[in-house]
Amino acid sequence: MTTLTHRRLSQHVMNRLIAESPEEPAALTDDHRRSLSARFRAVTSVQHRRLDAWMVERAGRADGVFRWSPATARRVLGNAALRRSVFEPQLTRVDAVDVELTDQLLRHNAGYARPGSLAWYLASCSSAELGLVSAEATNWTTQLAEAAECLCDPWQVATSDAYYDVARARTTLRGRRDLVVTRDSRRVLVRVRMGAPGKSAGPGLRADLTIDALAEPNGLAAARVIGLWPEAGVVLSVDGTMADLRAGARDLVRTAVTRQRQHLHLAA
Amino acid sequence: MTSFLDAPPASVMDVLRGERATRPSANNTAAAGLRAMLEDAIYELLGPDLRDVPLTVRASSLRRDSIVSTNSAPLAQVRGILINQALRLLCAGVTVDDVCREASLAWCAEAGANDLTRYVDQLDDDETARLAADVEAHWVTLKRSLGPLSNRWLPRTSLRAYQRLAGGNVILRDVIDLMVGTTSSDVASVVLLDVTTSPLDEGAERVMRYHALVQTLRTSIVPLRTSMFSTATGELWSSDVNDETLARALGDVLDVLRGLAT
Repeated sequence: MTTLTHRRLSQHVMNRLIAESPEEPAALTDDHRRSLSARFRAVTSVQHRRLDAWMVERAGRADGVFRWSPATARRVLGNAALRRSVFEPQLTRVDAVDVELTDQLLRHNAGYARPGSLAWYLASCSSAELGLVSAEATNWTTQLAEAAECLCDPWQVATSDAYYDVARARTTLRGRRDLVVTRDSRRVLVRVRMGAPGKSAGPGLRADLTIDALAEPNGLAAARVIGLWPEAGVVLSVDGTMADLRAGARDLVRTAVTRQRQHLHLAA
Repeated sequence: MTSFLDAPPASVMDVLRGERATRPSANNTAAAGLRAMLEDAIYELLGPDLRDVPLTVRASSLRRDSIVSTNSAPLAQVRGILINQALRLLCAGVTVDDVCREASLAWCAEAGANDLTRYVDQLDDDETARLAADVEAHWVTLKRSLGPLSNRWLPRTSLRAYQRLAGGNVILRDVIDLMVGTTSSDVASVVLLDVTTSPLDEGAERVMRYHALVQTLRTSIVPLRTSMFSTATGELWSSDVNDETLARALGDVLDVLRGLAT
């Protein structure tokens, strides 16, 4: 049975969702990992594949080649800026975005950026384009901060997304997470998305829940994953139950199968 | 006769921010009632059946000009887009020397290639020069009038909002050019600004109210003020958001829906 809930965004909804999260979330064992690995291995792939919640939501349909743009750069810069403004409270969020942007440019100038990276993209931008990137990142960081500032429990900006390499299956899973809220001994993840949630937003959240649990060394799932769509003023959540973890894993394997079929169709 | 002003004219930001001490408490209770009223009225209007194609209301739906708007011309649309991009650059602290060129670069980076960018690409030299001069004129008005914008006011630009109502039968879409203030404060501090390149008219009032309504539905917090600035005339209309503003906005939206449903 799914635990997907749908709420209108308000100051108290987020706190209520965190407070009412399950006290004992499920945990994935080594058997679960082995079983998942076997299922992914059964879906043969010549190339290394990367799967994430977005692909699950798109039912494995190919989206074209990723390219950096102000819209795709905003999350990386915005999250980093909020993290920085938490540790350096004298910085405004706009200043923090500027510092992060400058850091990326310095990384490129120092020769540490590889082609195709964010730093590489930013270095190729004109000042007007950099201004737009900065404006988009400021929007992101402000919306994330407004959500975080209303929380009663301690929170931090996630240091990175969750990554899990499925053993011997040429597959990397990537789970998005923006805020990690700690309540007692359990974790609640908050994921922010622009636009409005579609019909497959729930499977997307479950995929993030499963990948996060897989990336945890002890396999302990987050008590709840909250998906926040500030532009639509909507909050969705799924609980860290075994049923949701299984559903998330199933969706990921199905996505791998769909993508494999597409590759075969293209090859034919 | 020469007359002197007692104080320099207030900038747009001065008007938007107003007196800090007189701000009311944040109203976070009105949104639920507004949504319920809107849902009920839409149900009476459209009935229980789900439509194949939802009715979409945008800020432009509320202008209802009796004559064909000059803004419907592609060049006027481009001018509006470029001024909006220039506002974003201004808020991001970018020094803009050649506004038309730099705003165009920002626009292309954001939107990619589309019909309008292709239209601009095929303009001849005279038309390009005319567009550049036009954008420059509006830009000068905007830059002079906006006033200093502190980073502490949390300026956000081109904020989108999307509200699904009546089970998806109706969609309210909105883009706010500039928003300052925070929703996580105990006092109302969110101010909305719409920048337009056309003169202000009755439709502008409806658009201002619409912005306030959609923002209230989106965040569940009533904004402090909603404003509109015309770079064509240098006029600024600004009004505090109260229950009456939101009730009138609700009526405006229902009027549009009545028109769309028939």
